Amino acid sequence: MKFNRKRFYLAAVPIFFLVPLILNPYWVDVLNSIGLYALLGLSLNLIVGYAGLFNLGHAAFYAVGAYTSAILNTTYHIPILLLLPVAGLAAGIFALIVARPIIHLRGDYLCIVTIGVGEIVRIALINDVFGITGGANGIFGIARPRIFGMVIRTPHQFFYLIWLFVAITVFLFYRLEDSRVGRALNYIREDEMAAEACGINVAHYKLISFVVGATWAGMAGNIFAAKMTIISPESFSFWESVLMFTLIILGGAGSIEGVLLGAFLIIGLPEIFRELSNARMLFFGAAMIAMMIFRPEGLIPPVPKKYRVFSGTDRGETT
Amino acid sequence: MAEFLQQFVNGLAVGGIYALIALGYTMVYGVLKLINFAHGDLFTIGAYLGLTLLTSFGLADRVGPGVAVLLLVVMVMGFVAVIGIILERVAYRPLRNSPRLSAVVSALGASIFFQNAVMLIYGARFRVYPQNLLPKISLNLLGIYIPLVKILVLVVCVIMMVGLYLFIQRTTIGTAIRAAAIDQEAARLVGINVDGVITLVFIIGPALGGLAGLMVGILYGQIKFTMGWIYGLKAFTAAILGGIGNIPGAMLGGLILGVVEALGSAYISIAWKDAIAFCVLILILVVKPTGLLGERVAEKV
Amino acid sequence: MRRFSWIVTFLAVLVFIFGSVISSTAGEIKVGLMGPMTGAWASEGQEMKQVLELLVEETNNQGGVNGQKIKLIVEDDGSDPRTAALAAQRLVTQGIVGVIGTYGSSVTEATQNIYDEAKVIQIANGSTAIRLTEKGLKYFFRTCPRDDEQARVAVKAIKNLGFHTIAILHDNTTYAKGLAEEAKRLLEKDDTVKIVFFDALTPGEQDYTAILTKLKGANPDAVFFTGYYPEAGLLLRQKKEMGWDVPFIGGDATNNPDLTKIAGADAAAGFYFVSAPLPKDLPGEEAKKFLEKFAKKYGNPPNSIYSVLAGDGFRVLVKAIEVTKSTDPDVLADYLHNKLKDFPGLTGKISFNEKGDRVGEVYRVYRVNEKGEFILLP
Repeated sequence: MKFNRKRFYLAAVPIFFLVPLILNPYWVDVLNSIGLYALLGLSLNLIVGYAGLFNLGHAAFYAVGAYTSAILNTTYHIPILLLLPVAGLAAGIFALIVARPIIHLRGDYLCIVTIGVGEIVRIALINDVFGITGGANGIFGIARPRIFGMVIRTPHQFFYLIWLFVAITVFLFYRLEDSRVGRALNYIREDEMAAEACGINVAHYKLISFVVGATWAGMAGNIFAAKMTIISPESFSFWESVLMFTLIILGGAGSIEGVLLGAFLIIGLPEIFRELSNARMLFFGAAMIAMMIFRPEGLIPPVPKKYRVFSGTDRGETT
Repeated sequence: MAEFLQQFVNGLAVGGIYALIALGYTMVYGVLKLINFAHGDLFTIGAYLGLTLLTSFGLADRVGPGVAVLLLVVMVMGFVAVIGIILERVAYRPLRNSPRLSAVVSALGASIFFQNAVMLIYGARFRVYPQNLLPKISLNLLGIYIPLVKILVLVVCVIMMVGLYLFIQRTTIGTAIRAAAIDQEAARLVGINVDGVITLVFIIGPALGGLAGLMVGILYGQIKFTMGWIYGLKAFTAAILGGIGNIPGAMLGGLILGVVEALGSAYISIAWKDAIAFCVLILILVVKPTGLLGERVAEKV
Repeated sequence: MRRFSWIVTFLAVLVFIFGSVISSTAGEIKVGLMGPMTGAWASEGQEMKQVLELLVEETNNQGGVNGQKIKLIVEDDGSDPRTAALAAQRLVTQGIVGVIGTYGSSVTEATQNIYDEAKVIQIANGSTAIRLTEKGLKYFFRTCPRDDEQARVAVKAIKNLGFHTIAILHDNTTYAKGLAEEAKRLLEKDDTVKIVFFDALTPGEQDYTAILTKLKGANPDAVFFTGYYPEAGLLLRQKKEMGWDVPFIGGDATNNPDLTKIAGADAAAGFYFVSAPLPKDLPGEEAKKFLEKFAKKYGNPPNSIYSVLAGDGFRVLVKAIEVTKSTDPDVLADYLHNKLKDFPGLTGKISFNEKGDRVGEVYRVYRVNEKGEFILLP
């Protein structure tokens, strides 16, 4: 019997959107956290999974988005959800400035530079850079989001906001995979030199993936700020970048389903292990090793793409 | 001027510790091309093991502090090396032919595991080494104060670095390690026991990490289960700064990082110290993308 | 087929989740404890848990409250706001009457709204940031005093000790920075004490010689360090090793016996700190009995004043339930705000004002003697 992905998702998605009706606020909030990390994971997946760039400082862009939203909301009282594109734009521009000089760095060197960027951003936030980030206190009193006059407040309401955004993201990223950019990135990841030789501007496409990924993380930051109503630097530590990175490798780098499953495991497992009290992170660490050994390519690795070959068109076959 | 020199010396002392941990990072990276994120936690384990051995046997009282410290060094390095071998067998060997980032996640998992294991065994509170284990003598040169222990740390670092360098460059085993670092398959073809080489690397690297942990315990007195995370990150930075995979590079990177931190906090801002260090790192990498002493190698695809 | 097994695993996990949701029992009074059981401040959280478990056991052995047993539900906030928000949601869904905790103002703040919207009494034990009680939240209380009160006492002490120039060092945490800035504001009001240095160190490191060298260059009469005991201990130790003889003054986060252990008695000697009185310095029988029991059960006296303050939060809550014979949050909040007066707490008399802040002079000045003991200054 062949497992039909499409049919499975068609059945699973509506069920998933009905699940909150029978869950208590705590588990709905866990799902919200998962949704938020799914967004972050999907955005980082563009960079790590598609372009193969070793980024361990993604929290920096997440922070830029969250702080942009929080500052504009608390000083100019612009509704937080209207700031969604602004947060994305700010994070994207920041990523463009940061990434341009470093995008050519080799794997592990890029890794430490992204860690450095993440740490510099966090330290800047703690030190109240330009006097607008509130230092270690962070920014509080962010207004709750409103949609058509309805204030979004409870975990259940946030569930639909967050997961709707996740659904839109998944749809867009699926489209992206098949686009010219997506195919170019796929080629770069498989064989950078061959791609370069075929006339793909590697640095250009890497930069695109980096900036788009950062933009999306910025928007996730906006939603995070809206949900928490208070943000502070400790929410954007190196550890957060590690979590995002881990969840996509665990789920399967480059695979959207994989990232979603990874978010469920990375955020869900520590919550399930709560019963173990002090030992919960011990089991979490062991589980990470075990899962990697069990599925080195990630739980749901990406399926090789197949394209139909047309004669006389520019569509080539890639695998 | 005296203050500048004093800060320079302060920086060298911190940098020596970074360098010692960075040596372990670089060894493992050189052969496996794996960032061993659990290395910082092996360092923590070294510090805690040292404390256990020291206090539970009453070592210092029985054989005198000097001999006790020497014995400790041997025992801690041995124990941590064993943990290192187990770590490699369990968490890294099954992933050797997998995508590189999978091994990184496994390393992060191992780091979380070790950190929490230490917390559960020793408790979450700070633990403290006995005071006055080594004589607290400090030299006073032209108003610059240099504690003898810190000079000792630096000397140990240099000895380790030089020893390791000679070992890698001059001995047959060292040549095998270098061969495995360049191309594992080719090394296997010419009859080098690559598994043996990797095990050896996982003896040396963790042993150095454990030694650094023990020295931090003796030097600063206070240890905590989370400390490996910060030291690990700093040492990783140092290794990259010097050119990862390169032994003198790790040493140089560690010392530079320590000095940059000390001078940065002295003349710019204490609170921005780490940010300054990272800025320097990024600038160096933009100019020299493979670190100070790193060689340009073609990207493995 | 592999994929199928994954789906099965996932469903099994879901069943496990539901199982843990449903399995809750009735007929008890549930009190929550939210604290850092893992993460950087795990030592604080685990001691808070020890204190509360001892008190719960004691209360239940005496027949509980109004004939009902108390059940303690502990949740880990991981010293992190996001984890804390989840912990709060989880506690709220388990039908708790009140919650004790937590340590760290920003962590507490991330949970305030959740408890307030669920009408759960929250009594924080280690959250001294001023703004937490300035929001008009009806169900929020704290047994620890506020930073402005502490800064006031610290500044008074600095003036009384006769220092003319002072260096202020914090560690960029919400608490330490708040205290440092408040002290700076108070000192700048008049010219008796000059601030010659104001900066922050990075907590969690071990070598602070660079900072000490810089501090020494500023040549202050005294250094006011507003951060926590691990860094304070290291600063004292390294200052001593440098041969620099300057008095240090600390905030209440330095009040922990581990300070002496880290610094060594000879280096810690002469260190002043501002803190709520230690249980050993309380004349009250309550505190003495409590300390004995704690030491008997766990082998050592409590280290942190904040865990004792958590114990006070719990005792105040139990008292309110006992007197009002109610678990209605409005009744309890009203009682705590208006009717509870001079409750004999472990850390002194406890009353709350309309904001939920503890009233009365709580802070004392301590000095560490040559043996490393904390001596209350008159």
